[in-house]
Amino acid sequence: MKEKKIESRIFTIADWEKEEKYLQKRHREGWKFVKVSIPGFYHFVKCKPEDVVYQLDYNEDGLRYKEAYVQMFRDCGWEYIQDFGGYSYFRKPVSHMQGKEQIFCDDQSRLDMMRRVFAGRYLPIFIILVLLILPNLIGQLRSPDADAPILLVLFLIILVIYVWVTVSFGYRYWKLKARLRK
Amino acid sequence: MDAHIRKVYVPMTETGFYILLCFRKESHGYHIIRKVETLTEGEIRISPGTMYGTLCKMEKDGLIHFVREEEKRKIYCITDLGKEILALEMKRIERLYRNMMEVRQNEREEN
Repeated sequence: MKEKKIESRIFTIADWEKEEKYLQKRHREGWKFVKVSIPGFYHFVKCKPEDVVYQLDYNEDGLRYKEAYVQMFRDCGWEYIQDFGGYSYFRKPVSHMQGKEQIFCDDQSRLDMMRRVFAGRYLPIFIILVLLILPNLIGQLRSPDADAPILLVLFLIILVIYVWVTVSFGYRYWKLKARLRK
Repeated sequence: MDAHIRKVYVPMTETGFYILLCFRKESHGYHIIRKVETLTEGEIRISPGTMYGTLCKMEKDGLIHFVREEEKRKIYCITDLGKEILALEMKRIERLYRNMMEVRQNEREEN
């Protein structure tokens, strides 16, 4: 019987909630999350099936003052797993909780985290995209080279994915904000 | 007090208010989580992500200041600006309470 496995899953920058649910589901099936090392590759070890809540936080200040940051979560019973791509991974078994628990307890702080992800991860990539890909795209359009259409399609695919991520991110942000205003 | 700070903190979230209220004494985040839980009889349990995010924000905006670190826990205390905002919020909540009682009293007399 296999004791370890690696699964490949792609989650976009704005998909941390899906990632949390995915890790929780695996733990319930008896696969405990160990680490993610390369983007999209998740390591698991066999374990007793258990309902464990996984949570991702994005806090650059927390990474800078990691000891105090991790201590705060530990005090509240959350096990710190690792950092990856600016995100910190935490988990806590449901059996240790009093009712439903998450690492954020109000919508204002959830919105604040979205803002941090947006400023820290999203904006830099957007700037790179605009500065690198768009001039290339225009260059390819004008190029007489035979390979040009292939590259053009590739750039267009990246652009479409990016626009899709932007729209879904924007939609979730807007929804949360609308809920706060009520 | 500049307009931005006023806009962000007046009115404040319930957790934000309790956190600032507790920082009138030097304290660390987890201690305040426990204190708020006791004060509200278990009704409000502040989560660590919310607490850490609020501490960063309040420190950056000058409502609280870092004092020292004790056993990996950062201790903060309220600043003059923080006291000013807390006073504004207390006044707002007192008024809210007064008005609520008045409306209830009037309704009772009408019936």
